[in-house]
Amino acid sequence: MKHIQTLNTRDLCESAKNGGCGECQTSCQSACKTSCGIANQKCENKEEKDN
Amino acid sequence: MIHRFQMDGRYVVIDTCSGSVHAVDRIAWEMIGAYETAGREELIARMQEQFGEDPAELAECYDQITELKEAGKLFSPDTFENMAGELKRRTSGVVKALCLHVAHTCNLNCAYCFASQGKYHGERALMSFETGKAALDFLVAHSGNRRNLEVDFFGGEPLMNFDVVKRLVAYARSIEKEHGKNFRFTLTTNGLLIDDDVIDFANREMSNVVLSLDGRKEIHDRYRVDYAGNGSWERIVPKFQKLVKARGGKNYYMRGTFTHANPDFLEDIRTMLDLGFTELSMEPVVCAEGDPEALTQEDLPIVMKQYEDLARLMLERKKEGRPFTFYHYMLDLTGGPCIYKRISGCGSGTEYMAVTPWGDLYPCHQFVGEEHFRLGDVWNGVTNEKVQDEFAGCNVYAREECRECWAKLYCSGGCAANAYHATGSVRGVYRYGCELFRKRMECAIMLQVADQMDEGEE
Repeated sequence: MKHIQTLNTRDLCESAKNGGCGECQTSCQSACKTSCGIANQKCENKEEKDN
Repeated sequence: MIHRFQMDGRYVVIDTCSGSVHAVDRIAWEMIGAYETAGREELIARMQEQFGEDPAELAECYDQITELKEAGKLFSPDTFENMAGELKRRTSGVVKALCLHVAHTCNLNCAYCFASQGKYHGERALMSFETGKAALDFLVAHSGNRRNLEVDFFGGEPLMNFDVVKRLVAYARSIEKEHGKNFRFTLTTNGLLIDDDVIDFANREMSNVVLSLDGRKEIHDRYRVDYAGNGSWERIVPKFQKLVKARGGKNYYMRGTFTHANPDFLEDIRTMLDLGFTELSMEPVVCAEGDPEALTQEDLPIVMKQYEDLARLMLERKKEGRPFTFYHYMLDLTGGPCIYKRISGCGSGTEYMAVTPWGDLYPCHQFVGEEHFRLGDVWNGVTNEKVQDEFAGCNVYAREECRECWAKLYCSGGCAANAYHATGSVRGVYRYGCELFRKRMECAIMLQVADQMDEGEE
């Protein structure tokens, strides 16, 4: 019996290879302005997405 | 590092460093919790004694855990520390976002305003077109090869200087192509001055509009009053409805603040939904400890419950075909930020700065008015390198207390302004905010689990 179901997620270790382009939105800009969090940012790295 | 939690009968395990999320059954949940405390046979025997499960089933479960560990999806080691600061080093000197304080004045007099009624503890002022233009030139000149540049029109109330906003947007549009840039504008407004002209302009030029509404009329009107003390709810709600309707699906957020007066903020979210708004954000108030608006320890369990109930409401409404968005529960597990971004922090003081009506640069809008954080100005650039270095050095590993936190790669060390106001240091930790953040992440991840699992069942 399968006890564990793993969700599809971005592999953070892999993201070290092509990440860090800096094109993504600045965290606080445009919505909250009072509390930080980067989890809801979208990756805008075109090279990364094409891979 | 792993984190386990349960909500509404769902058992979830997060592997912090790989970013993996696992939906597990109760046996696996217990076994993962104890996995590192004993070897295979001992653990199976212990679990059998404790839970009376079939040993063959327990052995199968143990092996599944081991398989995931070997695949780097459970108990993955933290190997990122030497990358901390790397993104900031790579992008050193690059600015990509400005918060333009086009109006240090406001037509509302909200008691809880972190910006002291828009004045930021200083004089009332409007930004001139020339200063705003210099700010945009500064941004373009320092944006390196960044294509997407973000500019937020902020205040105070930016529509009190609407003419300058329009001229600045026209100027930015006139130069973006030749410089290979794409400006993304945002307007944050209390709504009082919204009219057809504003609606047309905002819907044409603003990639996002942030509309301030606290929810229930009595909650909103408690703090969001004009200088005569009259509430603003009745005047702004129809304007917001008109603007959102005309926006035709373009991004907006209905953004509320909750305080000690409404820790039960889910009621305010329900009000927003009843009014027809679906893109929602509700933020804990930012103010000094001891202020009457400040959230207290007694409020904390109420707030935590709101976050859980909010997640349940989102699931319910989604099933009914009436989904809505909550800013802090937006989580893109497959297309979210890379590891560099996750350990770098928000970029305040380095890639993101606030500009005062006089053209002074500050690390972010929440530091405006704190004179010793002034970085420089839009004509001479950053001259206070000591302060900038302090912000450049902010990352998740620069804060001792973040090291052992399972949520560190979702929050990247938290808000420097919150940390400064809570502890006196931008490298401190605002613990109350951390508790709220962790609860929000559990809820957001639970929603993802529900989504992916339910899809699998259908």
